Amino acid sequence: MSVELLRQIAVYALTGAGLVFFLAGTLGVVRFPDTFSRLHALTKADNLGLGFLTLGLAVNAERWADVAKLALIWALVLLAAGTVAQLVARSALVRGER
Amino acid sequence: MLAAIVRRTALFATIWIVLSENSAESVAFGLPAVAGAVWMSLRLQSPAHGLRLWRAAALLPGFLAGSLAGGLDVARRAFSLRPVLRPGWVVHSTSLLPGGRVALGGELSLMPGTLAAGCEGDRLLVHVLDCQAGFEGGIGTQEKRLARVSEGP
Repeated sequence: MSVELLRQIAVYALTGAGLVFFLAGTLGVVRFPDTFSRLHALTKADNLGLGFLTLGLAVNAERWADVAKLALIWALVLLAAGTVAQLVARSALVRGER
Repeated sequence: MLAAIVRRTALFATIWIVLSENSAESVAFGLPAVAGAVWMSLRLQSPAHGLRLWRAAALLPGFLAGSLAGGLDVARRAFSLRPVLRPGWVVHSTSLLPGGRVALGGELSLMPGTLAAGCEGDRLLVHVLDCQAGFEGGIGTQEKRLARVSEGP
């Protein structure tokens, strides 16, 4: 098996796994009963989905600069997700959805 | 103060260079963006309580393992025919500074089964997805690990 074929398989497997987690996050938002439980699904599953998507794209990247950019984008989205999740949870709490 | 300005400028400039692929025409936007980021970071996080990024890097393996476990757990529940959720709240007394609390809250939101909703005084409010899964046991561990990232001996 050639290296190129292995690389293609890795790209499809990793981006595929990413899509499965995005689907899980969306299902959680639709199926979980309250705002806080939905936030769990959204932040954790989407974080992992983006992580796998990023890994897959990194395997497919042609330059190290692209890999660095992808890693940085994932890190920045993580920071934003962790912060926004707290803000949404806080505002739901203040509105008395506890 | 000067050392903090130099360090933070280097950090934000690196981020800008990586994101803009080091293109010459983006410098006009990059300079004010980096200057603004440094100014805001000094306002929000004083140099006296700065972060040691190399210490934060040591947390990376544990963070990646935790977020993998967290994502898998919530995906399993979302896909299951009858999702098992026993949501509830726990209150965690913390000695972290306000910036550290936000960082802890953000991290907990990506770890298995926990979600922070800010503080009341020095008590962090944490929502737990399943009260019987022992998720809250990880909060103290995460707090101790994070406390080591702040500046200090």
